[in-house]
Formats: sequence, structure tokens, C-alpha cells
Amino acid sequence: MSIDTRETLRQWIAGVSDKTTPENLADDTPLFRDGILKSIQISDLILYIEELTGRSVDVEQIKPGVFRNIDTIYHNFFAHDHA
Amino acid sequence: MLDKVKAIGCTGKRDRGQVVLTGELLDLDTCLDTIFTGWARCWNAAEYRFPACVEARHLERLDYFQSFPHLATFPVTLDRDNDNIGEFARGHACNPQGVVDLPKLSATDHVLTPAACYHVYIELEGEVLNAPRYITTRATCFRNEDEYTPLERQWNFSMREIVCLGSAAEVEDFLTRTTYVINHFAAAIGLPAEWADATDPFFSPASNPKYLFQKLEPVKRELIYGEDLAIASTNFHRDYFGEAFQITRHGQHAYSGCVAFGMERWLSAFLGAYGETWEQWSCLEEFKP
Repeated sequence: MSIDTRETLRQWIAGVSDKTTPENLADDTPLFRDGILKSIQISDLILYIEELTGRSVDVEQIKPGVFRNIDTIYHNFFAHDHA
Repeated sequence: MLDKVKAIGCTGKRDRGQVVLTGELLDLDTCLDTIFTGWARCWNAAEYRFPACVEARHLERLDYFQSFPHLATFPVTLDRDNDNIGEFARGHACNPQGVVDLPKLSATDHVLTPAACYHVYIELEGEVLNAPRYITTRATCFRNEDEYTPLERQWNFSMREIVCLGSAAEVEDFLTRTTYVINHFAAAIGLPAEWADATDPFFSPASNPKYLFQKLEPVKRELIYGEDLAIASTNFHRDYFGEAFQITRHGQHAYSGCVAFGMERWLSAFLGAYGETWEQWSCLEEFKP
């Protein structure tokens, strides 16, 4: 299940990015630091996570670094679903 | 703070936080700027002196007017029509409150510089960098604010910046090393200041994804003196400016980062931390050129 979630995220990120392909996007690839995603795309990413989890994301409660890469996104938003 | 400024002989009677520097406080400004430019020279940074205005079209490319419209100050000129100018010349330009009754104006296509480093990216537009590029500049910057405090929040103030453009690793190395130098300096002179994550002062931040991004992926850190006075900042722009101005390094959009020093705020910190005379700033002796 966790692999599927990571793969789903990978496909979405590669789909909206003009800088990478799913094959080149590792779980620990820095998404914003490496320019895979632009800063203005963070809103779209949050909306997509809300769509996948079925829960709203309270941005005031989020700690810095949560969106660093696929791994950090998975651990912060999906890991509990798969425990 | 205004009392301290007046006490050392500088006038604080200008509005919008503006002060006139002279005497020892001006000497302190010069001394600190010499120290900061010395750090820039360690990177072989080229010194640039840019115009006071930025073309608005360049800032538009950066969404500046969506992100920071409330901070902008526009230089305006009278429409060159002789009747228009003549009518203005014959009338009473200022009312008793000092407000200018402006006639027809020329089209405005510039902005008074809001941050020193914008000029750097504009200047380097289209360049292919064969090595990391380091540039330093000092500019009078204009920001329209709700409230002003002399030396701390002024309509126009002096900003010294050191800018690096290169690969991500080169820019990160520059920011790391320069932060180390600043920390060493602050510790050596005993200045109580600490770094903290920060965000830029976006207009309507809750609806701006760029603010959200800065909050969740910190790219800006400020050196805070006292409770909340940011006297310096480090900013990692990623490839934002490189892409906007087509500056490349290794075949990709260049990354950039800058270190900025708010000069008047450093003066305020020195007045607060040490006192109001040059003798009380003796901690600078070993750093003076």
C-alpha cells in the first residue's frame, strides 16, 4: 500500500513538473530545492494530498520540511493510514 | 529610539522614519559597511552601483506587484505638456499639510528600488555562467509601511547585499560560509542576536501560495537583535531569478542566494547594545580595516 501511495505521488508530481519524469524522481529527491516543483505549486500539492487522504490539511499545524520529498510527504500524511 | 538618535546629534525631524546621519553614527555606518564589503571581497565579489529606480516591467515578471503591492513606491513626473506644467507652477503646489496637489502625470513605468539585489538579476539577464558569480551592492531601498521608526523601519533605508549565482551547491555553500562569518562577527563583538526562520511581508499572505511555501519550506533566515529587529538575512531563492531572467549555470537555470544587511538597523542595534559614542563601540577595533 505504501509503495502505491508513493508511486501515486510520484506520478502526480512528475505530471505537473516540467523538470523530471517518474523514472528520475526518487523518494528522497528534494522537490522544491531541486526545482522539481515551483513554490506556487505547493497549494496544488496540498489539494492533491487532501484529495488522496480525504482529510483537510491545516497548514498552520504543518512543520517546515514536510514537503521536502516524497518520503517526508508520505510519512507526514499517509503513514498513519497504512500502520 | 528617536531620543537616542537626537542625543547623538542626528536629526530625527524627518517623517516616515527617515533620519539624517552625521558624525560618529555615520562613521559607524561606514565602518560596518567596510566590514561587510570585506566579506564580499573574500568571494571576489564585484561591486556594483545601480540606479535608484527599477523598471516596473522587470518586477512584473517576478509577480512583485501581486506579492508586495503595499510596499511599492512609484516615482512620478509631471506630464510634459506646457499648460499642465505651467498651471502647476502658478498654483500652490502644497497644501498646509504638505500634501502636493498633483496635476496630470506622465505614465509611470518605474519603481523606486525595493530591494538591492533585484538589479543584479536584471543586469545578468541571459548570461551563461561559467563559474559562480558574486556581486555586492549597496542601495537605498524604498518600502511603504504602515508605521515607521527611525533606524528600524524607514520609508527609505540602506541595504548592503552580497549575492551569489551558481549551482544549487555553490549557492548553498556561499550562504553557509557567509552565515558562519556573520556568526563569528556577532559573537566576537558580543552582539546578542540569533537566527530565525522568516517569511517575506507578502500582501494578503493567506491567499498567496508563495507565502505558504516560505512558511513550509523556509528559504529565508533573519538575524534578530533583541526582541524582533532583523538586522541581516540570508535568502535562498532556488532557481526563481535564474528562470525569470534566463541566467544559466551548467545548462540549467542558475540558483541564487543573497545575504542582506539593513544598515540603519545595525546602527540601532549598536546604540541599544553598547551605547551612543564611538568609545563604546570599541568592540569593532579588531575588525576595522
